[in-house]
Amino acid sequence: MALLEINALSKVYPNGTQALRSVSFTVERGEFLAVIGLSGSGKSTLLRCINRLIEPTSGSIVFDGADVTHIKGDALRRYRQQIGMIFQQFNLIGRYSVLQNVLMGALGSVTTLDSILGRYRPELHTMALRNLEIVGIADKAHVRADSLSGGQQQRVAIARALMQEPKLLLADEPVASLDPATSHGVMRYLGYINRQLGCTIICNLHFLSLVREYASRVIALKYGQIVFEGSPAEITDDWFRHIYGDEAVEVEIR
Amino acid sequence: MRKRLSQLFLDWLACTYGVVLLHRIVWLEVISARPLPFAWAGSGSATILTTVPDWVLYAIVGAVGASIAGFTGASLVALLRGELAPNSWQRRIALHVGSLLLSLTFVTGWIVTKISLTDMFSSERLRAAGRIFSSLLTPEFSILPQAIAAIIETVYLAFMATALALPASFVLSFLAARNLMREHQWTRLLYTLLRIVTNFTRSIEPLVWAVIFTVWVKVGPFPGMLALMVHTISSLVKQYSEQIEDIDPGPMEAIASTGARPLQVVWFGVVPQIVIPFLSFTIYRWDINVRMATIIGLVGGGGIGTMLNQYQMLAQWHEVGLIVLVIALVVWVMDYVSARIREALL
Repeated sequence: MALLEINALSKVYPNGTQALRSVSFTVERGEFLAVIGLSGSGKSTLLRCINRLIEPTSGSIVFDGADVTHIKGDALRRYRQQIGMIFQQFNLIGRYSVLQNVLMGALGSVTTLDSILGRYRPELHTMALRNLEIVGIADKAHVRADSLSGGQQQRVAIARALMQEPKLLLADEPVASLDPATSHGVMRYLGYINRQLGCTIICNLHFLSLVREYASRVIALKYGQIVFEGSPAEITDDWFRHIYGDEAVEVEIR
Repeated sequence: MRKRLSQLFLDWLACTYGVVLLHRIVWLEVISARPLPFAWAGSGSATILTTVPDWVLYAIVGAVGASIAGFTGASLVALLRGELAPNSWQRRIALHVGSLLLSLTFVTGWIVTKISLTDMFSSERLRAAGRIFSSLLTPEFSILPQAIAAIIETVYLAFMATALALPASFVLSFLAARNLMREHQWTRLLYTLLRIVTNFTRSIEPLVWAVIFTVWVKVGPFPGMLALMVHTISSLVKQYSEQIEDIDPGPMEAIASTGARPLQVVWFGVVPQIVIPFLSFTIYRWDINVRMATIIGLVGGGGIGTMLNQYQMLAQWHEVGLIVLVIALVVWVMDYVSARIREALL
């Protein structure tokens, strides 16, 4: 059984923009799926539909054998706890310490009162520190999150997502605001999580060179439709022009 | 279509306004020298249709003007929207009409406020001015202890109004923030109701609230505090909720994606982004409240304002001079302290 099945998913925004047009694909356990396409092709909408931060207009989402398209309330929160997410802008709480930010990944399993009073179970503290070690910044646990560099902040965000012990990790342009060297650093941690921790990853990416290096499979979106599905090696120059338009020139990030 | 209609309506308002001023001020007041005040009802109009009330005629002439503006495109509203081509004759005419309206408004204002330089600078008036200024500048220091006691009352009154308004405003501001309330129709309804209520209470001046509360509870600092509190709540809810609407939605998304509950999303995704601006607004509000508290005292709201009112009615200007001095000093200190605290926060 596949981990995730997307069937004929469509999204029309209230202003009439059709962001997704009947998108269907499946994701197997352990995959590192890259989603590519121009800005505005629907990549971010697709990712946010998967964990229902955005409500799809039609179609269905089946996760781990259960239809999650219309679940609400506690069921939706339990579903989201199984899916980590990281963002282009990291979305940390800058005024809080790195450790507090990582602990926020466990909010779903802590009561509202306990979380507001900062009462996290001791094992969550241990886990948070271990996750910070995984991404190599355990020494920064007690500094304010907004004092870190972009790459370090993204690693904190990864540690926060790991607190959910996610079956699936959604990464929305995780390196688009980072410089090339830092980008590889962050992508390597994602690769490690994918292979060593067995976490399935769906990652929106801009740079094909990163896709070729880290992804096991690719889908390409254009105007909200899937126009390519296959292995990274299959993206030839012709495909590249088809996905990105005739004017596009590939830029590499080393 | 809706835009066209709203343009026509606004042009009609502008034209009617212009016609009213032209007739009432220029024709009746200046040319035929008939004195104001405005006698709206039953005044014999200078037109043929004497049976029709003036305001109907104004509206009709205004509508004619608006239609002309609509057909030719020389519309005032279009000018303000920046839709008229530079150097076009429509733009020139609209500009002329606009400046005519502005000058008419100025002339009307001059007449209505009864501005008179002779009232201000005749030798008799200047002597009166000299009397009051010399009294104010030689304050009577014997009442200083009472004045200090009264201003302490005022400062604490302002503090209590702010402190009691704070928790209420904090909670209500989340319910009055569009970005948090737009998801469901019930929360949207609550948001709309809250916005209407706070807009309404805010549009009533604290002075009016003070009058209401001096009737409700007895005269003294308590009604003054209540008046300031009501006004503070409605002002802070507006400022707070606008701050909430301005936040970066990213952290909220991130917290929601972990499977957190709605209250946790607000506490971790919203609150850290707004604490500092909230504190800053609140301290500024206290500062404003100290000034308002002195005014509210004038209608029986307690503190230094009440004391000022008493001495002013007895025409004891030396004592008034001292009170004004004390108020100025305290307001200046509050202003300075609140500015320093807000600087340190940011």
